[in-house]
Amino acid sequence: MTETVTVRVQRYRPEEDTAPWEQSFEVPYSEDLSVLDALNQIKDQQDPTLSHRWSCRMAICGSCGVMVNDEPKLSCKTFLRDYRGQEAVTVRALDNFPIERDLVSDISGFIDHLETVQPWLIREQENAVSEGAYPQTPEQMQRYASFSQCINCGLCYAACPQFGRDPAFLGPGALALAQRYNLDSRDQGAAQRMQWLNAEEGVWSCTFVGSCSEVCPKDVDPAAAINRGKVASDINYAVNLFNILRGKGDA
Amino acid sequence: MRKPYIQRQRADWWLRNPGYRRYMLREATALPLFLYTLLLMSGLYQFTRGEAAFLAWLELLRSPWLLALHALALAAALFHAVTWIALVPKILVIDTDRLRVSPETIKRAHQAGAVICNIGLLLLAVLLLGTAGGH
Repeated sequence: MTETVTVRVQRYRPEEDTAPWEQSFEVPYSEDLSVLDALNQIKDQQDPTLSHRWSCRMAICGSCGVMVNDEPKLSCKTFLRDYRGQEAVTVRALDNFPIERDLVSDISGFIDHLETVQPWLIREQENAVSEGAYPQTPEQMQRYASFSQCINCGLCYAACPQFGRDPAFLGPGALALAQRYNLDSRDQGAAQRMQWLNAEEGVWSCTFVGSCSEVCPKDVDPAAAINRGKVASDINYAVNLFNILRGKGDA
Repeated sequence: MRKPYIQRQRADWWLRNPGYRRYMLREATALPLFLYTLLLMSGLYQFTRGEAAFLAWLELLRSPWLLALHALALAAALFHAVTWIALVPKILVIDTDRLRVSPETIKRAHQAGAVICNIGLLLLAVLLLGTAGGH
């Protein structure tokens, strides 16, 4: 007889349910079975009404984020073999986001926050296309490279208790992306983004729980990015204060 | 028709994993330090009321409860300092074309600074107590 594992899946059907509930499935076990494979097995063979998001199956697209045994994980990068010996594997929709259906979260709040920080190269004056690309040394690229690895999966938001408390907080992903552009030698938009870093919903709403960095599947380390943003915000405050005292007005 | 289910943060969110519990423990170090500050302020107040009141306060400090509070406050301050300094290299990054300092050096420098300040403070206290007639 084939060995099976119990997978408890959170269900929420907006047409008939008022709150999420849990449904148990038995899935045939194999060494290389990911949580995503298990969910696909359930949908294909057992209950076609199950809704979950996925696309690339290789931790690049960032679509398949769920809570696996209460931890935010990419289901394609999480394997059932790592939960052997446990009574069951529980899969829920990501924490801190509204649940659209079953395991599908509404992450539009997070996407809005990403746009807020103006995540593109801002130039005081654009060069003409004929002048070619803005040059950058490998060393200059290394300064922001780790912060540019984000795949927008939202795991850091599910892990962040400050975002859970207040969804207006720009959060780890967006603030790390702001830092990614602020540290880019080709970018000149740090002053424009400073209003978002300084805002109530900006870097100062972070209390350095650090969980965002622990759950990040791409080792982006948003906690470091945000807290470096606090240093930038401090320097900006000091410079402004100095200028006001010298009668030069707000910089 | 859409009817998203809004998840509310539970009051016991911080009990859910070891990382959150460590974070709350670090935040909670503020509590013994708050009590210790109140104790110091009450000492200052007794000092303004005259010698007898201040000596009575000094005597009160010998109670086992207050000795325990001192030990707890010291442990809390040390725990906070050690865990905070471990995070400093994430926050303070010195990496420019002209100057580059490794994260390890930044951490060691902060640890050395903390040790020097604490020993300095201890020496100063011993020195002041010595000149006050070895009280």
